[in-house]
Amino acid sequence: MRAIPTLKISISGVRGVIGESLTPTLLTRFAQAFGTYMGGRTIVIGRDPRTSGEMVKQAVVAGLLSSGCRILDIGVCPVPTIQLIVRQQHAHGGIAITASHNPAEWNALKFIGRSGFFLTAAQARELLDIYHQGEYTRTAGAEMREVAELSGATDLHIQTILQALGPLPATSRRLRVVLDACNGAGSIVGPKLLEALGVEVISINATPDGSFPRPAEPLPENLAALCAAVREHTADIGFAQDMDADRLAIVSEQANPIGEEYTLVLATRYVLDHSPGPVVANLSTTSALQEVVNRYGCQLVLAKIGEVNVTEEMLKQKAVIGGEGNGGVIYPRLNFARDSLVGMALVLHLLAETGQTVSELVRSLPQYSMIKEKLVCPSDKIAVVLRMIRERFAEYPQDSRDGVKVTLPNGWLLVRGSNTEPIIRLIAEARTETAAQDILSNVYQQVHDLIGS
Amino acid sequence: MKPLKIGITGVRGIVGETFTPEVAVGFSQAFGTYLDGGRVLVCRDTRPSGPMVRAAVVAGLLASGCEVIDLGVCPTPSLQLAVNWLQADGGIAVTAGHNPSQWNALKFVRRDGLYLNPVQAEELLDIFHQGEFAKARWNEIQTGLQQQDPINQHIEILESVFATEMIKDRQFKVAVDCCNGACSRLIPRWLEKLGCEVLAINDDPLAAFPHRPEPSIQTMDQLSAIVKAGRADIGFAHDADGERLGIVTEQGQPLSEELTLVLAARIRLEQTPGTVVTNISTTGALEQVAARYQSNVVRTPVGQAYISEAMLEQRAVLGGEGSGGVTVPEVQLSHDSAAAIGLILEGLAQSRQRISAIANDLPQLVMMKRNVPVEPHLLYSVLQNFRVDVEDEHLAYDLTDGLRVVLPEGWVHVRASNTESLIRIIVEGKDEAQAQALIDWTRDRLNR
Repeated sequence: MRAIPTLKISISGVRGVIGESLTPTLLTRFAQAFGTYMGGRTIVIGRDPRTSGEMVKQAVVAGLLSSGCRILDIGVCPVPTIQLIVRQQHAHGGIAITASHNPAEWNALKFIGRSGFFLTAAQARELLDIYHQGEYTRTAGAEMREVAELSGATDLHIQTILQALGPLPATSRRLRVVLDACNGAGSIVGPKLLEALGVEVISINATPDGSFPRPAEPLPENLAALCAAVREHTADIGFAQDMDADRLAIVSEQANPIGEEYTLVLATRYVLDHSPGPVVANLSTTSALQEVVNRYGCQLVLAKIGEVNVTEEMLKQKAVIGGEGNGGVIYPRLNFARDSLVGMALVLHLLAETGQTVSELVRSLPQYSMIKEKLVCPSDKIAVVLRMIRERFAEYPQDSRDGVKVTLPNGWLLVRGSNTEPIIRLIAEARTETAAQDILSNVYQQVHDLIGS
Repeated sequence: MKPLKIGITGVRGIVGETFTPEVAVGFSQAFGTYLDGGRVLVCRDTRPSGPMVRAAVVAGLLASGCEVIDLGVCPTPSLQLAVNWLQADGGIAVTAGHNPSQWNALKFVRRDGLYLNPVQAEELLDIFHQGEFAKARWNEIQTGLQQQDPINQHIEILESVFATEMIKDRQFKVAVDCCNGACSRLIPRWLEKLGCEVLAINDDPLAAFPHRPEPSIQTMDQLSAIVKAGRADIGFAHDADGERLGIVTEQGQPLSEELTLVLAARIRLEQTPGTVVTNISTTGALEQVAARYQSNVVRTPVGQAYISEAMLEQRAVLGGEGSGGVTVPEVQLSHDSAAAIGLILEGLAQSRQRISAIANDLPQLVMMKRNVPVEPHLLYSVLQNFRVDVEDEHLAYDLTDGLRVVLPEGWVHVRASNTESLIRIIVEGKDEAQAQALIDWTRDRLNR
């Protein structure tokens, strides 16, 4: 099989490997296409601390200026900060320079539209058409606009959270929190927020220098250092972020990762306690969320996977909270973005208000086990795999909005191609790990063989 | 045709038309590849497209594995000196020099501070066209930029070359027009160091060019008025990036830019006889001045890189071009208007003469230029026929760049334009009538 290319241009943006596919020419063209699409207005840019960030930023600045945009540069910061600033400053769009959970050699551009929403699929297609057409707005020197630097964007982010949620209520005991920022964009702002909320903070992996102390995804297997620190400091909770600080995972006071699925469930509990209303999540979110939402007599709507699909649906449903099962909490009162900072504030408020430990809170939730696998898969095989799944489970209810989701008597199975990598994902959930494993292993080998043939 | 000129002085075009971010990125990647990584300095002049082009250049250099030091807004000669004291491997100046504001360009500077020579420029172009650039991997790429301001160092170097104390004693009053260009950051400070009272106009690097950034009689009206009103001893006019210099006498008379080099040669050769290097379409007054001081003139094709290399080869005491660029080798082997100012003020201080007296003492010649449109398919056969005619008449000629013929009345230089379908004629004679006669003589032989 030929090598799978490292460049991925899709409705999620453009992403590639530095030193291979993600060249400055490609980046400056994409920025010109976006500037052309936005009609040369004010664009907010920010980046995560990857080593290639400065190069990518300069290419983006050249492209945006050339297409007539004014630039508001907010420096190294979480992606949700960029989204919040777009909304607060009434900018017309933004470009986030981050490959979120991809390894260090990757970088990417993510395109943000009005109010901080990522571009929808339709908008992203329009942008791609402009990019491919190659006829970008070219501004004469005399009409070129400025690059303004906005320092303190992350402080604005913290203030916004504090104003809406307030510091933690005075309890008998000050909470002790360990934060693992993965040396990412949350390294500086996370500890500042936690201190402002009134907890005691112990930071690990808080040097935003582009080095990856662990794989960036906050999956249980990547959180050994955080668990050890929680144990050592007898902390009440451990938080783990990814490189761009949109996703949040939690470690209990017993130093157990509770599974990133439960971040949104805990945050939802706190929000529905105070203001019941519709909740939106994506297709691959744990069924535990459905049960919790049911307890409050509220409605859960499942959207296609992808942050913008969830935020668009939230707007439509007037949702009070939403997000994605991978640890992405969206609290629309503050920010139409998956925001780990907002997530931490909501979960800490829940801890303080209930006086319960993380373990106790998790025990009070419905118990499910989710297993995720991925297989490298060339694009022409994805349809073949999906057809096989459809036929094999023809007698069960299916949802085809995003790959295939099959609702089984004892759980569910989701099979879908990734938008960001040349892989196919298999996700299964059931009441117990064994049952989930059964669902998955039932199809894994067959998918593997289909791809291989 | 919309112009994008790719030549030995770099790549140049109109921003918003041909000079795109991709062009700037691609050439910077090619240059980074050519240098094989290393430390590269970047500066820009003040034209409004500067921040865009600079960002594209920085992206291209970083992607090809270079360490980038950003010098911000400064004259190109300041960057050329900084290559040495910052131990850099090269530099890119983002400036279109004397071109109008809508233009921009990249000028490529090598490890010794000189522009790439024609062979090196060809190599760079080959890399650009081939399009296979060095790509730094994620753990090789530079994570940020360093900043340096090269102005103080430039002034220190100038101070060490010229008789600063002697100039200070004279307490000159000097008017300057920086054209709101990069010189706004250097020239007023340099003049203050020389103890001058400075009357500066157009010295705001954030403002637009008040006129074409090209010193010439047509662009020096305002400066001339300031010299007269302020009773200055001399006035200096600048281009956007500190290479070309124009002069206004204390009587408020603007001198042709052709005379800047002649005047500098008159001052220099009086102190230090030797070789002067210039290009073949610069005034023959230079030879006449050189003859007075037992000195000689060596001529090169048009282009600063040729002059720098010939100066190196000839151990020349001065170099320059009819455009107003002057090279003082003790400062550096490239045009530097701040160095030209040092030389001229030193000459005024030493000779105790007024600038008008020195100017009046120069040979008075008249230069004329004509462009003759020729159909593209006939351009080179017309030139060939002209050469055959000249050979038939047994006249001495030079093929350094086009065809230059020396006649008893003066000289004629005929060459094809690099950018348009026309032949450029430049002649010089002792007076207007002789110059016109030379134009007529040339047009007769071109049958145009």
